[in-house]
Amino acid sequence: MSVLPLDAADEVATEPVPPARRRGLPAFLRRPGGIFGATWLTFVIVASLTAPLWRPYEPAEQDTANALALPSAEHWLGTDPLGRDLLSRIFTAGSLPLLSSALMLVVAFGIGLPLALIAAERGRRVEQVISRLTEVLIALPATILLLAVIGVIGNRLYPVMAILGVMISASVYRVLLGVAQSVRQRLYIDAARVNGLGSLRVNLVHVLPSMATVVAVQAAQLFGIGLLIVAGLAFLGFGPGEPEPSWGFMIQDASGYIYTAPWLMVPTGLVLALTVVAANELADAIAGKVAVAGRAGRRRRRGPLRRAVAAAAAGTAEAPDPAAVLQVRDLSVSVDDGPDLVTGVSFALQPGRVLGLVGESGCGKTMTARSLLGLLPDGVSVSGGSILWRGRELVGLSEREMSALRGREIAMISQEPMVALDPMFSISSQLTGPIRRFRGVGRSEARKIAAELLRNVGIVDAERVLKSHPHQLSGGMAQRVCIALALTGEPDLLVADEPTTALDVTVQAEILSLLRALVRDTGLSVVVVSHDLGVVADICDDVAVMYAGQVVESGTAEAVLDAPAHPYTMALLGANPHVPEGEPVPERLASIAGTVPPPGSWPTGCRFASRCRFAQERCTVPFPELPAHGAGSVLCIRVDELSRDHAVWEPEHAGDEIATPLAPPAPVAGVSR
Amino acid sequence: MLAYIARRLALAVGTVLAAIVITFLLVHAGNTTPGAVRLGPGATADRIAAENEALGWNRPLFTQFTDYVGQLLQGNLGTSLIDGRDIAADLTDRLPVTASIALFATLLSGVVGILLGVAAAVRGGRTAQGITTGSGVALSLPSFWVGILLVYLLSLQLGWLPATGYTEFSTDPVGWATSLAIPVLTLAVGGAAIVTRTAAAGMREALAQEHVRTLRAMGTPQWRIRYVHALRYASVPVVSVLGIQFIVLFGGSVIIENLFALPGLGQASQVAAVSSDFPALIGVVVVATVVVVITNLLLDLLVAALDPKVRTA
Amino acid sequence: MTAPAGTAPVAATTTPALEIRDLVVRYGSGRKARQAPPAIDRVSFSIAPGETVGLVGESGSGKSTIGKAVLGLQPPTSGTVRLHGQDITSMSLKQRSRQVADLRVVFQDPYSSLNPARTIGQTLVEPLRLMGTRGPEALHKARAGLESVGLPGDAVDRYPSQFSGGQRQRIAIARALVCDPEVVVLDEPVSALDLSTQAQVLNLLADLRDQRGLAFLFIAHDLGVVRFLSQRTVVLYRGQVMETGPVEAVSQAPRHPYTVALTAAAPVPRPAEQRARRTAREAAGFGTAGAALPSATGCPFVPRCPLATEVCVTERPPLRLVEGTEAACHHAERVPAL
Repeated sequence: MSVLPLDAADEVATEPVPPARRRGLPAFLRRPGGIFGATWLTFVIVASLTAPLWRPYEPAEQDTANALALPSAEHWLGTDPLGRDLLSRIFTAGSLPLLSSALMLVVAFGIGLPLALIAAERGRRVEQVISRLTEVLIALPATILLLAVIGVIGNRLYPVMAILGVMISASVYRVLLGVAQSVRQRLYIDAARVNGLGSLRVNLVHVLPSMATVVAVQAAQLFGIGLLIVAGLAFLGFGPGEPEPSWGFMIQDASGYIYTAPWLMVPTGLVLALTVVAANELADAIAGKVAVAGRAGRRRRRGPLRRAVAAAAAGTAEAPDPAAVLQVRDLSVSVDDGPDLVTGVSFALQPGRVLGLVGESGCGKTMTARSLLGLLPDGVSVSGGSILWRGRELVGLSEREMSALRGREIAMISQEPMVALDPMFSISSQLTGPIRRFRGVGRSEARKIAAELLRNVGIVDAERVLKSHPHQLSGGMAQRVCIALALTGEPDLLVADEPTTALDVTVQAEILSLLRALVRDTGLSVVVVSHDLGVVADICDDVAVMYAGQVVESGTAEAVLDAPAHPYTMALLGANPHVPEGEPVPERLASIAGTVPPPGSWPTGCRFASRCRFAQERCTVPFPELPAHGAGSVLCIRVDELSRDHAVWEPEHAGDEIATPLAPPAPVAGVSR
Repeated sequence: MLAYIARRLALAVGTVLAAIVITFLLVHAGNTTPGAVRLGPGATADRIAAENEALGWNRPLFTQFTDYVGQLLQGNLGTSLIDGRDIAADLTDRLPVTASIALFATLLSGVVGILLGVAAAVRGGRTAQGITTGSGVALSLPSFWVGILLVYLLSLQLGWLPATGYTEFSTDPVGWATSLAIPVLTLAVGGAAIVTRTAAAGMREALAQEHVRTLRAMGTPQWRIRYVHALRYASVPVVSVLGIQFIVLFGGSVIIENLFALPGLGQASQVAAVSSDFPALIGVVVVATVVVVITNLLLDLLVAALDPKVRTA
Repeated sequence: MTAPAGTAPVAATTTPALEIRDLVVRYGSGRKARQAPPAIDRVSFSIAPGETVGLVGESGSGKSTIGKAVLGLQPPTSGTVRLHGQDITSMSLKQRSRQVADLRVVFQDPYSSLNPARTIGQTLVEPLRLMGTRGPEALHKARAGLESVGLPGDAVDRYPSQFSGGQRQRIAIARALVCDPEVVVLDEPVSALDLSTQAQVLNLLADLRDQRGLAFLFIAHDLGVVRFLSQRTVVLYRGQVMETGPVEAVSQAPRHPYTVALTAAAPVPRPAEQRARRTAREAAGFGTAGAALPSATGCPFVPRCPLATEVCVTERPPLRLVEGTEAACHHAERVPAL
């Protein structure tokens, strides 16, 4: 089993995690489309069903003197060619399409939903049989078949719509099957089954509620389609006969008077259109679509501001380290109009060395790494500090300037090799594209270089791999291809974001060896992000330990890992179950009470103080600058005392775990998984 | 891949057979008999019974079915109960009308929908909001109402296009094109709205993929990321929805053909339904099913060509 | 296998809490599935009451499939699963809950293992109600269960979204333990957690086991974690047992080349030691993962094994006792020390 993406919390959630049940209005009723849809549908349904009680005229009542009248005080919506009142006729006509569409819905879901639940539960063979049958049903021409039904059973709307419901149930099944299958894969279903919950109750208690949104969206959309079909049938003459009013026939009637009385088609058409629009808007609001559309895109341009911030930072900080190829000083990354994700991060990277950014989820290491390439997620940007790359300030560069740097000077490999490559293109085309762009060579030359690059990253059958598509590769192979891709522009800096987290341990060892060989052979500088101290010990020369958006300890890998000075580093090492060779396994592991505070709720003073075993009163007061410690830095005011006392982060005694206090509930918005 | 095609072909044949079985059962389940339809109201029960016997209506259902399939394989769909015309010949004349309306409407929906959808996904913000709302309204409008509005606007007010009627391509190609223009536009309003939504969602999803970040990290130009990589990724759902649109528009042409007095399949099915002309009804269902099935087959092949995961599976 | 007296004395004298014999699991059906190698290929082991057995392997080794087969979530193709000597192999999940209420599970992903629409209380009361405990008594037990995993009892009114990953995993443990099972399947319970949280949960599991005498089937991919929690371990590769024995022997003096490869690949957070380990591993000459498919008849590790010979390709090695562990290797005696 591959490990879950551990650093997912570094991503800024695109949508807040909804609490399971909120008091008050459901979410869809807070969107304009949802309010309109629900209000209009309620109005039409109530007005239509109660029409006999309030309508000003009988639907067949003729006022021949007033035929084809425009709206007036007597006839609010005007009259038809026989002088009948349109308002009365429209709402008298409403209940039939509304009720027969509802019947269609009941039939469609009554068949489709149980079938989907059964197919999702009973496994592949049952699912195949049901799915083939529904595929046949879907491929039948519904409208024409419906006319055939009318030709046989005659002009009876309710049975016709019920039969349409049977045909549509196939589409309902198809949509709901996918949802039901994905819900059934959730582990709480397995847990409930292990508890012995029966099949029916598993479906009722656990599966159905999770499908509610999709069912509601589908139902609203299908209701609109049903209305259109009923009206269409009536338009063709397959509705209630004259003098009974129907929406479709009233529009058909109006089409004959389009030369003389174009108004006639407005009221009926508008009511029908508005009702279908309302159903669709309601569906969209339930699905939450409009909100997403509104938020898409829109990158903030903060160029001038960034430049100013960078200049200020450069002015205050110490002189740049001339030997360093990359120097990050006082870097801050923030959510626009939101909390800081990273503050005051500084480190330097010498050419040909490997620097590790290490820490737990939500500590800002991925954000720090991504800011080196200017590849922060939408709505997140560098809010201060400086990134000096070979003497050039990267903070404040335009997207175009950054883009020219990416791949050529700074390249990146990411956590999930299986999704990092474009699934639609062959490996060959994904490699030769950048090779031709970076090196200005022709197609065949580029392919030769691509094969050579693949061999350089340890792929023996390069030709076969070039011809494959990403889904045909194993995780380890895909990561090798990603590394080859990153090397196409012969960069000087490689940013590797958890490059081995998704891989098996034996594959991880191979990839780490490969990276190490590349550094040795090409003089590449590397920034590695990892949560795994073992990986850091294997590949890094220098280490920066991050906690809650800050670097709490930095130095050479030996200094930091063999003689940790910051309590957080000590605790992380104590929590690692890989004991040194020949030593017995400890009875208990060191652990840190509580969890990493999320951005926006970092305490003042030392951010680790509330979880630190050595914290004192003064740790919670803001302290101005970090005391120097050896060759690196340690963000702890007690560092000298602690090292003098040979402080060790001991494991708690047995049973202490049980007394862990409950941390305050995580905030809903902001950064979360 | 060959096995995949074979499987789809088998399903296609199965679908056509299923359509025949269903309409056969339907026709026999009703209480109208072909004899009664042919002789019209006023015929005595004895004459109707004799007529039914002559039409072979009383033979076992399975024999009738195999006979029908046998005739079908020879291209024979029987004759109309009403006017005795040859149904296969009649439908052959009508098919091009419906097919060209559906095809042009699909193409127009595709072009407009992809442009708008990509614009919505790429521009975001107000543009996306406007396009989303607009397409939401457009796909909710009843086609016959839109058709009348377009006639009012383009024909009556502006006088650009003829309101109704059909001109043969062989007699007057320009007249043919203008006679199809309003029907095609009418169908394309809803079609384009659906394609827009699919294209926008597909592009948005494509641009949020992890591999787009890899492309950006390689300094790939913006236009290449959008219009080569993301568009290719979004092409699979868009092509699928275009295929479905063709099928929907093909079926939806019943109303449009009625509204614009076009001699297509939809009109034939309406006439057959009104008059309970059973052989004509079955014939229309068979022809429509064959068109749908062939479209689905082509669609499957197209998706396989586009999506390497399907192609190499 | 029946554990020989030398390796696990407890198992020889008492009825095992859980016993798995010749388990085979094939996925799918039809000709293709029959030709493919099974996901689980003749796996046997047993767990004594109060004992923890670690099931280690990489992705595709079938370790989670074994967990599912034990729990009844995946019907085995052949073989038996016994709980306290009772054959539960083909017992439905519903029957199990009535007759053998003491087999429970904790899953890897704390996010999808709790229903987000139900309160913690509802989640914890569900198994109790099925056991016949209802009303205030069930709620009382649920609160007590939460307190036993270090969470306050009033968490019963909250929803899963209000808890962190580590806290959710505690809740999942509370759900597994609330009806006092004797055997718990832990399917990668700490793999999705951060290091410090992982340590909390491992300590908690160790405490609960010692307090309550629980037997654990502990499924993991990390030998270090397994070594912390387990007494014995079973190393899997491509659905077959490569090596099994007391955890100290298997991790310190492995007798199967795959165990050596697995142990050597796990990096330790001490730069000097890790450098030495890396040099040793690179010198050992293990083949690249996934480079070639193994033969159906022989040892599955052949394509990557530096010791492989002709016999390894043709003949599948049986598990045999070699210096304190059982290894399925023709050349177990020649396996170099770590």
